[in-house]
Amino acid sequence: MSGKKRTRIYILTAVVLALIILLPHVLHNDYYMVVINRILINTIVVLGLNFITGLTGQMNLGTAGIYALGAYSSALFVSYTNLSPWLGLLVAILMGFIIGRALGYPSLRIRGVYLSLTTIGFAEVVRLLLANLADFTGGTTGLKNIPCYSIFGFYFNTQTRMYYLFVVMAAIAFFIAWRIVHSKWGRVFKSLRDNIDAVEMTGVDVANMKIRAFTIAAIYGTIGGAMYAHFMGYINPSTFTVDLSTNYVIMLMVGGLESVVGCLVGSAVVTGLPEILRFLGDYYQIVFNAVILLGAIFFPNGWLNLAVTGVKKLMYRMGIRTAESGGGK
Amino acid sequence: MGDFLKLTNVTKQFQGLVAVDNVNLDMKEHTIHSLIGPNGAGKTTTVNLITGVLSKTKGTVVFDGKDITNLPTHKVARCGIGRTFQNIKVFPTMTLLENIMVGGHQITKMGIVRSVFDIKGQRAEEKMVREKAEEILDRLGMYHLKDEYMKNLPYGRQKISEIGRAMMTDPKLILLDEPAAGLNPSERAELVKVIEKSHNEGYSFFLIEHNMDVVMKISDYITVLSFGKEIAQGKPEEIQKDPEVIRAYLGSAYLEQKKDQ
Repeated sequence: MSGKKRTRIYILTAVVLALIILLPHVLHNDYYMVVINRILINTIVVLGLNFITGLTGQMNLGTAGIYALGAYSSALFVSYTNLSPWLGLLVAILMGFIIGRALGYPSLRIRGVYLSLTTIGFAEVVRLLLANLADFTGGTTGLKNIPCYSIFGFYFNTQTRMYYLFVVMAAIAFFIAWRIVHSKWGRVFKSLRDNIDAVEMTGVDVANMKIRAFTIAAIYGTIGGAMYAHFMGYINPSTFTVDLSTNYVIMLMVGGLESVVGCLVGSAVVTGLPEILRFLGDYYQIVFNAVILLGAIFFPNGWLNLAVTGVKKLMYRMGIRTAESGGGK
Repeated sequence: MGDFLKLTNVTKQFQGLVAVDNVNLDMKEHTIHSLIGPNGAGKTTTVNLITGVLSKTKGTVVFDGKDITNLPTHKVARCGIGRTFQNIKVFPTMTLLENIMVGGHQITKMGIVRSVFDIKGQRAEEKMVREKAEEILDRLGMYHLKDEYMKNLPYGRQKISEIGRAMMTDPKLILLDEPAAGLNPSERAELVKVIEKSHNEGYSFFLIEHNMDVVMKISDYITVLSFGKEIAQGKPEEIQKDPEVIRAYLGSAYLEQKKDQ
């Protein structure tokens, strides 16, 4: 890497960091901050889903169940024990580990549509249990007064404060997902999607590998759920429907399968677009779904891919890049 | 030293059909041993029985002095058996180099958590795997194609790449299930060259093949199956003259016709 290129990368990183830090002060609007915080939480969940649906190619429509169990395990733990939400996060991670193992085993025998149905079933069972075990979970009235995260007496109780916390958490989640996807693990996960027999014949324990993918995904999902619970302060089972699971799959598709950056883009588009389209009133659902559908038909590789190609073309037109300078990456 | 690959009374029964019937086979190290037979003779089933894809009804398989009869496929592979498939099984959405590198997953040691945080160590390990894959591609004469997506490569290249993927695991034995099927004559010649070269480098091959020109050219020893039964064993010249084999392939009418001449 030449010194010039390195300097450019440093400058770019500094600009991005400055933007991230200054964002709440530029926007000055709590409502926007709520949307952005939800984008950050959704990004973490989608990063996880990417491991199952994006890399190993198994359609998981049970994300809402994983997310709900994360939210409830953390919230219930904290409300019964009055301990720190950070311990709740650990409980949620443990819960994710258990779900990953439990959901991973059926995936060894069931494939394709049948697996999707199994995961939908799982999510519905979770939702109905949460709604009907009223004595323990609060039932359909939900759980109130879930405390927010705090460090040494500093409470993350405003949207801006939560934003900074969530940026850090999302960045860690992003870093880990990036490292896994761009390593031998990502490669083996992808090869499982393409041809499972061939992978097995190279000595890889395929069953173990599938369960690992599920476990990573479930842990990401439960972490997202726990963050959601402590961010909203109130949760109830009606949030965690099949619609929510479908939304996560849409985020993944919009961003582009396999792509780690795509998870962020997809989550931003699918979470942000309804807010932007709010002026349409009752019609926003139609427009939103039409946009997503057209996207699926015309840019099946995800919007990120489209944006990257578009920017390259634009730069080429403007004469910044020459045809020879190539893709860079 | 124990047996290299020894099948004793291996039998596979699918309900009423006996696909492989009491097959005995003894393969020596550093040889190319071929298994031939008419369609439906049970050749691929035999390979599936060796690699643990199918469970055996009866019999034992010993490899390198170790009983591998009841091991699952991935453990058989770890014992040092590599394999290619009759209907190619590659990873079409990945590049050729990545395809070969998947074969190297098992030889790496790092766990998932360590490979996330140990950036330097992970890079070194990845470099080791990549260099090994590149070296194998170089030997197979496909180095210049390494960044091509697998789905864009011709059929013959995809087939040979399977041998490369198998080599990544440092196998003592490679099972080739009809490697020449669907290849044109020049691709076939290239395949023979690759197999012979690898054989000289110390690999042992167990070959299932229909193309007699390939089989007769490179085999050291041949076993013939017909309807699940082993009907002949021997060197290529012996097999070519064996009346049982001629009957299985061409029918008894051909034999009598030959006798008359």
